[in-house]
Amino acid sequence: MTAPVIEVEGLRRTYRVSTGAVRRRTLEVEAVRGISFSVGEGELFGLLGPNGAGKTTTIKMLITLLVPTSGTARVLGFDVVRQSREVRKRIGYVFGGDRGLYDRLSGLDNLRYFAELYGVPPREQKRRIFELLDLVGLNGREGERVEGYSRGMRQRLHVARGLLHDPPVVFLDEPTIGVDPVGARELRATMAALVSAGKTVLLTTHYMFEADALCNRIAVIAKGQIVAEGSPSALKAMVTDGVVVELEAYDPPPGGADALRRVPGVARVTVEERDQAQLFVVQAAAGFEGTPELIAALGDARLTRVATREPTLEDAYVALVEGASG
Amino acid sequence: MTSAPAMTGARATLRVCLVGGLISYRALFNWISPALYIPTMLLGPVFQILFFVYLGRFVQLRDDSFFVVGNAVQISGMSGVYAGVMAIANERQFQTLSALLASPANRPALFIGRALPVIANGLIVSAWGFGVSALLLHFRPAASSLAPLALVVLVSVVSCTAWGLTLGSLGMRFRDVFMIANLAYYLMWVFCGVNLPESALPTAMVWIGRALPMTHGIQAAREIAAGGSLGGAAGLIGVELGIAAAYLVAALLLFRLFELEGKRRATLEQA
Amino acid sequence: MSRAARLIAIGWRHHVRNLTASRFFVVTSVFLPILLSTVAFFMFRAGAREGTLLYASLGAGVMGIWSSTLFGSGGAISWARREGTLEVLVVSPAGYFWVLLPQTIATASIGLYSLVATLVWGRLLFGVPFAIAHPLAFVVSIPVTVLGLGMLGLLMASTFVLYRHANALSNMLEFPVLFVSGLLVPLSALPVWVRPVGWLLAPTWGMRAVRAAALGGNPWPPMGVTVGLAGAYLTLGALFLRLFLRLARERATLALT
Repeated sequence: MTAPVIEVEGLRRTYRVSTGAVRRRTLEVEAVRGISFSVGEGELFGLLGPNGAGKTTTIKMLITLLVPTSGTARVLGFDVVRQSREVRKRIGYVFGGDRGLYDRLSGLDNLRYFAELYGVPPREQKRRIFELLDLVGLNGREGERVEGYSRGMRQRLHVARGLLHDPPVVFLDEPTIGVDPVGARELRATMAALVSAGKTVLLTTHYMFEADALCNRIAVIAKGQIVAEGSPSALKAMVTDGVVVELEAYDPPPGGADALRRVPGVARVTVEERDQAQLFVVQAAAGFEGTPELIAALGDARLTRVATREPTLEDAYVALVEGASG
Repeated sequence: MTSAPAMTGARATLRVCLVGGLISYRALFNWISPALYIPTMLLGPVFQILFFVYLGRFVQLRDDSFFVVGNAVQISGMSGVYAGVMAIANERQFQTLSALLASPANRPALFIGRALPVIANGLIVSAWGFGVSALLLHFRPAASSLAPLALVVLVSVVSCTAWGLTLGSLGMRFRDVFMIANLAYYLMWVFCGVNLPESALPTAMVWIGRALPMTHGIQAAREIAAGGSLGGAAGLIGVELGIAAAYLVAALLLFRLFELEGKRRATLEQA
Repeated sequence: MSRAARLIAIGWRHHVRNLTASRFFVVTSVFLPILLSTVAFFMFRAGAREGTLLYASLGAGVMGIWSSTLFGSGGAISWARREGTLEVLVVSPAGYFWVLLPQTIATASIGLYSLVATLVWGRLLFGVPFAIAHPLAFVVSIPVTVLGLGMLGLLMASTFVLYRHANALSNMLEFPVLFVSGLLVPLSALPVWVRPVGWLLAPTWGMRAVRAAALGGNPWPPMGVTVGLAGAYLTLGALFLRLFLRLARERATLALT
């Protein structure tokens, strides 16, 4: 592995939250509880986790928006607390959602202003801006007010903004959230292009397929802790090298999941609520033959579908996240 | 969905009015926290009173109590005007308007319910203004005039709130309703005689002022603070009440009109 | 052009354009000074004190500059928070100081309009004579006053980073500064306890300079004080901003949620 670009050691962050208007109580909430990882040059590293897992808090500490409660983080060797200026010069930050832009001004005006703040030399600004408009596919729309942009266009403008100063390290915080499928695919192509251009990228997402498709390595984060780390295929292998049986049932008996867990060869059972039915996802060892026992375990439930399939990254992810909370 | 038969008409209406009003008030006025309330509603108005009292002394226009009463009544209207506007406009911003219109709740009750906490707040702010003036500016109305004064403030807040609701209803049709509210509020400063006697204004402005809320309330409050009886000011209070009723009716009619129009054009949620 | 000058010039242009693209801001700042000055004119005209209409006109004009500055600088941070730009601006390599400085100058200079509008309005409707004693000094005193007000706005805005409800604070500060800095009522007519506070405020001295230049008197000493105070505010504002941004990173007050 090449020299680490991002090094995180034992990073923790707690928030103080006050509740109650009359009798105020202060609670300490631990958003990130001691995480460590490192990202090498040219890697696309994914932080994968459900909402509230601590992904955004982690990114905000790395981009110098939040001071860690304890632990250290370095970007390109610079400490994010003591050398924040040095870090800021070298990083780009793009977050999802439609905020963070000057809506009443045009896309071009937005980029011009940020180019100045990011210290892009005046002579190069124009060229750089149009290069980026090309990259994100906003060429020809730069003169329009941002308030008229679609969600996907705004997101692409965010990406262009984050890249204005050609930073070697780019942080992308759920960049495809709320973007339509076509737009999201284009954004993913842009992200892949960043890595080909030699940039180091840290991406947070809660879309498994996105992480699977883009990342060299993934850390799964749940409840402020990293519960697994490795390449997408390694993660899949870690959780299951067996098969997955899905059973969709109406009116299953209470404790159906427990009954399924008692079937020999079953490693893990998760339940997803569908409209009126429940979907039981059963992970079992390779060569599992016990599907009839599974059906029997659900007793009188009306089964609408029983299927056997290969495990996906999503199975791995759900297993890891549920494992962390269980 | 049908409502539970146990909740009969009158009680349901009262519930919508009181509980619904309080909840939406807290939801929409998310600035009603001590950190916001103290500066906006309490400290700012004190300096407003001080500013105009000293200005009045400097230009030798009227005595202190003229300005104390004018401004203490006017600050009570502030929450009324904005609350009326916000009650409808914010509702639209947060996209809850459709859900509300679809609910079977009695609409006038809903409306008035929203206004109640605002009216209470107006009374508190005004009392605070008078109280601080008593301490800092030796404003000393007779003890017997306190209750009538409270009544006049109450009526003025009601009419300001009704006016705010009228403006807020316009917000169902026009986008920049807060801008309208801001301007409307500032216009009241010029026309309602907060710091100016009618004799200082051109006739046309006096007449505009008489059609606005608060003008008559301030005049009544001044008479009472100067030792006049409630009976003497009854005429002015009556006119103020009439103006309040007129704006309330206007608000309801406009609300109805734009609601129907919005349903027809499906433009209600267009932010 | 040096980097600092460029940042100020481009930031100024950016913020002027962004503000004037807001109908709310434009309409409010067009009408508010006219309404305020109308009240002031009527009060002065109806009052027993004589020959003070130009005095009122200038005072109301500077009041308008202050309203615009306060609205702009108090609003600056809460808008940025709401738009979600605050975090992006804070982590920009230039640093948030270089965002806020041009922004406060921009809002204060937009407020210049209010001075002009007030003078014209007074001339047209109330026949306020526009006789300036020292035209040159008057022309100089105006940007100096704008600078003083702008820097006071910067100082206040720097503390707003920590305070989520900056808008309410800026609402509250409108009348205190109008009152304490003697814009319509001279400091000598105010309670004794107010005066020392007024001496610390640049609007007080800016107003004196503008009045002296227009109505007669020596405008240069108050102008010097205004510039000095502006420098002090700038220094303090920069220090506060450093300190408070650091605190904000610890307390997580930059985001809206």
